[in-house]
Amino acid sequence: MSEEKAPQIPVIELRHVDKHYGALHVLKDISLSVEKGEVVVIIGPSGSGKSTLCRTVNRLESIDSGEILIEGARLPEEGKKLAQLRSRIGMVFQSFNLFAHMTILDNMMVAPVDVLHRPKKEAREEAMRLLERVGVADQAGKVPAQLSGGQQQRAAIARALAMHPKAMLFDEPTSALDPEMIGEVLNVMTELAGEGMTMLIVTHEMNFARRVADRVVFMDGGAIVEENTPEEFFAHPRTQRARDFLNSLQDK
Amino acid sequence: MSAANASIRDALYEAPGKRAKQRIAIATAVSVAALAALLALIIRQFYISGQLNAKYWTLFTRYTTWRFIGQGLLMTVKVALTAAVITFGLGFVLMRGRLNPHRFVSGASAALIEFSRGVPTLLFIYFFFLAAPQFGLKLSSFWRITLPCAISACGVVAEVFRSGVNAVPKGQREAALSLGMSERRTFYRIIFPQAFRYVIPSMIAELVIVLKDTTFAYVVNCADLMQNAKVLISNYDALVSIYLVVAVIYILINYALNKASDLLARRPNRRNIAA
Repeated sequence: MSEEKAPQIPVIELRHVDKHYGALHVLKDISLSVEKGEVVVIIGPSGSGKSTLCRTVNRLESIDSGEILIEGARLPEEGKKLAQLRSRIGMVFQSFNLFAHMTILDNMMVAPVDVLHRPKKEAREEAMRLLERVGVADQAGKVPAQLSGGQQQRAAIARALAMHPKAMLFDEPTSALDPEMIGEVLNVMTELAGEGMTMLIVTHEMNFARRVADRVVFMDGGAIVEENTPEEFFAHPRTQRARDFLNSLQDK
Repeated sequence: MSAANASIRDALYEAPGKRAKQRIAIATAVSVAALAALLALIIRQFYISGQLNAKYWTLFTRYTTWRFIGQGLLMTVKVALTAAVITFGLGFVLMRGRLNPHRFVSGASAALIEFSRGVPTLLFIYFFFLAAPQFGLKLSSFWRITLPCAISACGVVAEVFRSGVNAVPKGQREAALSLGMSERRTFYRIIFPQAFRYVIPSMIAELVIVLKDTTFAYVVNCADLMQNAKVLISNYDALVSIYLVVAVIYILINYALNKASDLLARRPNRRNIAA
């Protein structure tokens, strides 16, 4: 509780979070905080629990024990309060998850109008502004299947931004993309980081992490193994596991 | 049948070679000849048994015959459409119940679904015709056929809806929830509209079954197409010719329904290639 008296309350804070899938211990005593305007990148081998960790923050995954605080308040477990909280944390998925039966513009407007009760005209104007910003305004009238993966993911980021989130979660946002489309999505994310958005990012893009992260968190086997600035982490990893992981990437 | 099936067929299709083409041509010629022979045989048999006799067919030149058939057809369509609306409503409610997180609600819905699917339509008809009046539930003949048809189909409709809902990728729900939409809104705005498009072909197939079930109307003396055909038969003593014409009418309606399902299914499927 003493942290709450500190001058700045972290936007996202996890305290001793544990989670099991049956016998599998997927999150082991995770404590992590993301300050306002901070960009935290989580890396680690597949199966290390980094996606699960990201998804617990807006409770797409429940936790067994521990605490998750959003701006100092405990994450509600269900109902209206949870929905309200989710509306203030943007989430970007690996598989984009744009609503397949709606145009891009409708994708952008449905939550602002239905959840935040913004007037339609206002929501449409803002949607177009955001689509313009991520460079897919000319696709607004199409359905997601007509767009490339990169365009879909940029539209998905814009859709999350339309809710004016106070933090954004990115769950491997470029893992489902063709190599030539990864750059356009990372550029949008870099821009967001530059504007001071609070971001928690799970990714395999090490150059992006090096460039954009304020802090790198290395996970393995469901636990946080190392936490450091990108400069320090990539130049002098402290643990053997982090060294092995970074070496395995260089082999490719 | 549907666009989805067509795409699977396309994927498995291999252009035939020279010999295969030859074999296909021979098989086509043989089956056409066989069908022609069968048709000739049927006509010959009709001729021998006197079914081509003018007295069995002249009734179709009369306006009153067609008006009577038309009235029956109208009743059939009315019963089928009303039953369809009710069965889709009941099926939707049962599907919602089946997917309810509360074990009791989902268990009770599952039981009702099994009941609806397991009991033959005719038994439901006898219930409303013979049993229900004893409990003071006296319905018109229209409802005595419409309600059993609807109840008998709603279990299948519920399961078809449920399969559609389960076919919508999980990410669609997660994305809606992550935007702060409630479970309820997520279902009605995001999940169900997509699920509905998936199941249009199966729904039309179910509609065809409902339409065929309405022929039980004669049991409750409801003047549908089948019942009116029976009346015509007893008036003109022309069993084969009338049943033949009525069968063609049923086939045409169901064929039109299947065509409609193809058209409806093709549109959204093209859109939902990648979710």
